[in-house]
Amino acid sequence: MSSHESTEQNGSASHDWPDRYHHIDQVLDKPGPRTDPGFAPGAEVKTFLRDTCKILVIGAGGLGCEILANLALTGFKDIHVIDMDTIDISNLNRQFLFRPKDVGNPKAIVAADYIMKRVPGVVVTPYYGKIQDKDDDYYLQFNLVICGLDSVEARRWINATLVNLVDPENPESLKPLIDGGTEGFKGQSRVILPTVTSCYECSLDMLNKPTAFPICTIANTPRLPEHCIEWASVLEWPKVHGEKKMDTDDPEHIGWLYSVAAARAKEFKIEGVTWSLTQGVVKNIIPAIASTNAIIAASCCNEAFKIATSSAAYLNNYFMLIGTDGVYSFTFEHERRPECPVCGGESVDISISREWTVERLIEMLVEKQDIQIKKPSLSTPDKQIYLQAPPQLEAATRPNLEKKVSDLVPEGGEITITASSLPFSLSLKIQYR
Amino acid sequence: MHDSESQDIETATTVLESQPDSKTRRYDRQLRLWAASGQRALENSRVLLLSGSATSASILKNLVLPGIGHFTILDDSLVTPRDAGNNFFLEGDSSIGKPRAEEVVRLLLELNDQVEGKADLRNVKNVVEEDPEYIKSFTLVIAHNLDLELLRKLSNLLWGSETDPALMVVSSAGFMAEFSIQFYEHCVMESHSDAVPSLRMDKPFSSLLEYTDGLDFQSMDPTDHSHLPYVVILVRALQTWKQSHDGSPPKSYAEKQEFKQHVLDMRLKLDEENFEEAEAQAYRCAIATTVPSEISSLFSHPALSAPLTPTSPPFFLLLAALKKFTEQPPHVLPLTSTLPDMRADTKNYIHLQKLYKKQADDEKTAFKGYLKEVLGGEEGVVEDAMVDTFVKNVHQLKILKGKKWGALDKEKTLLAQELSNAPNHASTHLAMSALLHYHAQSPDTDPTLEQLRTVAHSLVGQDVQLPEEFDVVAGEIARTPTAELPNTAAFLGGMVAQEAIKMITKQYVPITGYCVIDLVETSTAIVG
Repeated sequence: MSSHESTEQNGSASHDWPDRYHHIDQVLDKPGPRTDPGFAPGAEVKTFLRDTCKILVIGAGGLGCEILANLALTGFKDIHVIDMDTIDISNLNRQFLFRPKDVGNPKAIVAADYIMKRVPGVVVTPYYGKIQDKDDDYYLQFNLVICGLDSVEARRWINATLVNLVDPENPESLKPLIDGGTEGFKGQSRVILPTVTSCYECSLDMLNKPTAFPICTIANTPRLPEHCIEWASVLEWPKVHGEKKMDTDDPEHIGWLYSVAAARAKEFKIEGVTWSLTQGVVKNIIPAIASTNAIIAASCCNEAFKIATSSAAYLNNYFMLIGTDGVYSFTFEHERRPECPVCGGESVDISISREWTVERLIEMLVEKQDIQIKKPSLSTPDKQIYLQAPPQLEAATRPNLEKKVSDLVPEGGEITITASSLPFSLSLKIQYR
Repeated sequence: MHDSESQDIETATTVLESQPDSKTRRYDRQLRLWAASGQRALENSRVLLLSGSATSASILKNLVLPGIGHFTILDDSLVTPRDAGNNFFLEGDSSIGKPRAEEVVRLLLELNDQVEGKADLRNVKNVVEEDPEYIKSFTLVIAHNLDLELLRKLSNLLWGSETDPALMVVSSAGFMAEFSIQFYEHCVMESHSDAVPSLRMDKPFSSLLEYTDGLDFQSMDPTDHSHLPYVVILVRALQTWKQSHDGSPPKSYAEKQEFKQHVLDMRLKLDEENFEEAEAQAYRCAIATTVPSEISSLFSHPALSAPLTPTSPPFFLLLAALKKFTEQPPHVLPLTSTLPDMRADTKNYIHLQKLYKKQADDEKTAFKGYLKEVLGGEEGVVEDAMVDTFVKNVHQLKILKGKKWGALDKEKTLLAQELSNAPNHASTHLAMSALLHYHAQSPDTDPTLEQLRTVAHSLVGQDVQLPEEFDVVAGEIARTPTAELPNTAAFLGGMVAQEAIKMITKQYVPITGYCVIDLVETSTAIVG
């Protein structure tokens, strides 16, 4: 393995100068009042941290840059990082491993090079691509995984993957997952022990619902500048450009949307369509600053350090921060959800009207905050109800959309829901009211 | 940089902006939080850091990235092997032996070429004693892990007058940390709070009343009826309610429920969603529009009873004008022009929005009249942009009262009270203070838990029983009294920079008291 060779070449000993870890060794050389009695201070834990432990960082953006720097300084020396993005100029106000000359280059590679240049002896192995490209064997090689992502879908994927990885016969298969997220002055970090603590999917209902404007408002009664922008991007773009995909990073595309939205706003005498707002609405931009990312990334890395070394108790299991009015934070234990489709195993009881069609049921599933499935396919143990793909099966099952669920599934019967974006299936137990 | 708020309909829709310049694109994600005005404040600020420790460098990183104007690191030490191991803004062992401030400044400046940075290699103690005006020339002074004597001098120095820079005092030991901000007073116009301004539905201004009165709810087209904005519905509903209730709005719980039903009874069809929205907003009618007590309490500020002149702080000139404004009927705050979105067709909504905008403009003109009165007839003293900001945020103004650094530790009863209210977090503060006091007496030794207990008792009083939590947090501090862990440094770096940004931009609300941090249980709290 290449990483093994590089560990030997660049490994800790050759780069460690005397006193390099003076500060950190103070917590590795003796326990504190809240340290697990099993903690063995001294050489062994240092060797594990610096020579053995392999950690995966998912995301090399706002949180990722901070996470990589913190891990490197605390003594993790075999770090892997995955990110599918390239650097944009708007990243530079917080993603401090990148410079203007790096714009357009892959985040994972630039970040890895920077860390290795700055912190002697640390090996960072980048992968410029998607987490979904990697298989179970890849994820099994790590001791810990830290996520600094802005995508719910990617988080659900890695969470489900790590939960599925757990083999009760093999304790090594349980990979602690530390997840951080920020939005403006707010953020959270949490520790997930797959199958032991609540998982990401358990807390899906805590997410804010994304603002969605009803299509009839956009089409007929616009009132806000946002309505005009949605009109331009959702209705006018496909009408004018047909199949051509909108690229929200292309200034020409944003410019077109902005001018179309501004014209509509003028027609309806609506104020406030600007370039910045247009970009904000179509890209769903979330404000992001260095300071919040620093706090949350530090918290994530601190948990990784405590878990890797047992030098102090770790977070159980959720830290929430709001920094707008003073500093408010809340540390609590998020409970597992027995009916969690990923780690719970029990089927979800759902009560619907006998009159509901399959289409109505799908509509409800898409809207349901604790499920959030975009294009669900439905089947029972003995038949397919509706499949989104492939096209032949979609066409074959489409007539079912108008049928009543009660004609297809008996009282107490189960429906299995799958979706291409999710690496798990959800089981619904149907009751009629 | 553009400001979406200040564009009127003509410029917004006839002159199209081109793609923003590279500076605006670089700062886009933060401009959405503090806008061009906050950015300008940052760019005009000068921050002084006392020490080039890992924590100081982390704080500065989060100020350099968003683009403060200038920073200086005052530090006469050379990089030690220990420093080189825990500070990202040193180049590993190759930085050892070089001046620490110079190395850290050089590497921080790579993050943003808009920022000016300077290394000052003088001794902190000497500068505090011999060149106090230099220290006072900054916007903000931040000190990390300074000793007690120096902190006392510094805090005295910057407690001379209200115009002295705020002082942020940061201390850390292993997984434990705390910081506080010393300031006299901090006035915030843009607190970005969740407070919702009144829509005046209970005290409709004349054009709103006229508009509502001109609508014949009964005979209008059913589609138009289902497009009536809830503001109009509620103004009418409250009018008719008052007619049958001796001119009084709904008061008791039962009356409020009845009022909701009254709103729903106005529907022509059961599925009119605008009336459902009106029902959901009906509670607002039961809250009389007055001057909220949080705002009227500001009027008793001593600055308003002293004579105001054009050189008085603009915030107090504006506050004095506000006081005059609210003394006139209808005794309300100036109207905030932003109308929330509501179910309505475009025509109704835009018309209503215009009414609010016109009224808000008229009231702003009246407000400016009072401002002129406050200034004895002089005009143009306060910039129009600031008047706009003040009036727009008038329902969420805040004046924070600060304390001198260390004040809590001198008030034994208060400290003891904090210990009984929040034993865990107050113990963290007490233990951090005990560490500072211990090192003042025995600079080069590490305390035991027992020694920290002894010092803590001397601070809080011998007769006060230390809570059991004290041993836990003080035990943690005794484990690592001088350790500066990279994760703690990074955590503090984010927290302190965040509060510094709030102080500099005068937006959002900074902490008062001590923010204590425990990174074993991963919690923060405010003490004192």
